[in-house]
Amino acid sequence: MNRRAILTGVTFLAFLGFAVGLNVHSAPVSAAAPQTANGVTDIDPHKAFGSKNAPITLEIFSDFQCPSCKTLFMTVNQRLIDNYVNAGKVYLIHRDFPLPMHAYSKVAARYARAAAQLGKVEPAEQALFTNQEKWEQSGDVDGTVANALSAADMVKIRALVKGGTLEALIDKDTALGQGYRVNQTPTTIIHSKGQTYPVVGMVSYDVLKSFLDQLLAQK
Amino acid sequence: MMQSAPFNFRRAIIWIGRLVLAGIFIYAGYAKLFLPIMHPRPPIAIALSLFALQVDSYQLLPPWAVQYVAHTLPFAEIALGLLLLIGWQLRIWATLTSLLILGFFIVVVRTYSLGLQINCGCFANPEPLTRITVLRDGALLLLTVLMTVFAYQEARAPHPWSAPDKVST
Repeated sequence: MNRRAILTGVTFLAFLGFAVGLNVHSAPVSAAAPQTANGVTDIDPHKAFGSKNAPITLEIFSDFQCPSCKTLFMTVNQRLIDNYVNAGKVYLIHRDFPLPMHAYSKVAARYARAAAQLGKVEPAEQALFTNQEKWEQSGDVDGTVANALSAADMVKIRALVKGGTLEALIDKDTALGQGYRVNQTPTTIIHSKGQTYPVVGMVSYDVLKSFLDQLLAQK
Repeated sequence: MMQSAPFNFRRAIIWIGRLVLAGIFIYAGYAKLFLPIMHPRPPIAIALSLFALQVDSYQLLPPWAVQYVAHTLPFAEIALGLLLLIGWQLRIWATLTSLLILGFFIVVVRTYSLGLQINCGCFANPEPLTRITVLRDGALLLLTVLMTVFAYQEARAPHPWSAPDKVST
């Protein structure tokens, strides 16, 4: 009986040691990007909301053609801005991560970027996500954004889109995402007190709120 | 009557099942509580809230149930792992383990078939839920069910080494 117990214990410890070893060797998630606001660089101020000095920085990598990104935007974004960003608790950054499998997501990202440069990112993103099912069928990204903005703004936006300078900004966001090992959208990267927490997929506001409150309460 | 060898197939499966599942469960619970891949390690309360976000990404439960699962599952995994390792009342804990892994398997298959692109959250590391996750959970389910069935069979016909001594009259 004793011999059997010892054998069981030794085999178990060997197995556990192997499992722990496997995980210790996987690279830490937290060492991804160089530091500025809460450990985040390359921030396009046109696509960032709130104060850089906020205790939490939240980067959302999304694709305008992804249904879960739409749900996240429609159910979480505004409440997050109202309750955390405007209160100076969260610095929110919208990152572009157009997935290659979506035909129009890069075009949509260009239009949203162009609108952002004119300070019109919110109505443009709202229009793109709200009408996602329509333009992903028709490919009419231009018409979708045009319905939400003035004709004068659209002239400038079209010029920016055709100018080709936005591509580099989108690619920079994508490269940053790859640095965090983002490979699906939406992915939210939360930075607080030198720590980086990746969250993949759609999350509900209540559960996110609970996590943010825990981070804010952390001494 | 001829007595079987102490290490036959049935007992080997029970033994392997106990060790493998105990190791996996204890490590899974520990990883969720202490986040060993993060440096420095955040407090347990933060780790559990982060796990709640992973549970929520399955889009299966309301927020209160997400919080309940996230704050109890890691402790339940460690407790179940230790009970399997000790082997006390094995049939009860093996049955519970089978039900738990069956639950995991159903959730993983549902998520994979819906095409939700999320992380598994199984070991608190950024591991995407893929076909490999489904196959791994399927294999674990098979092992657990076999262990449970064999544990019941063993209880009905125990090996003389572990059977209670007969009192001679």
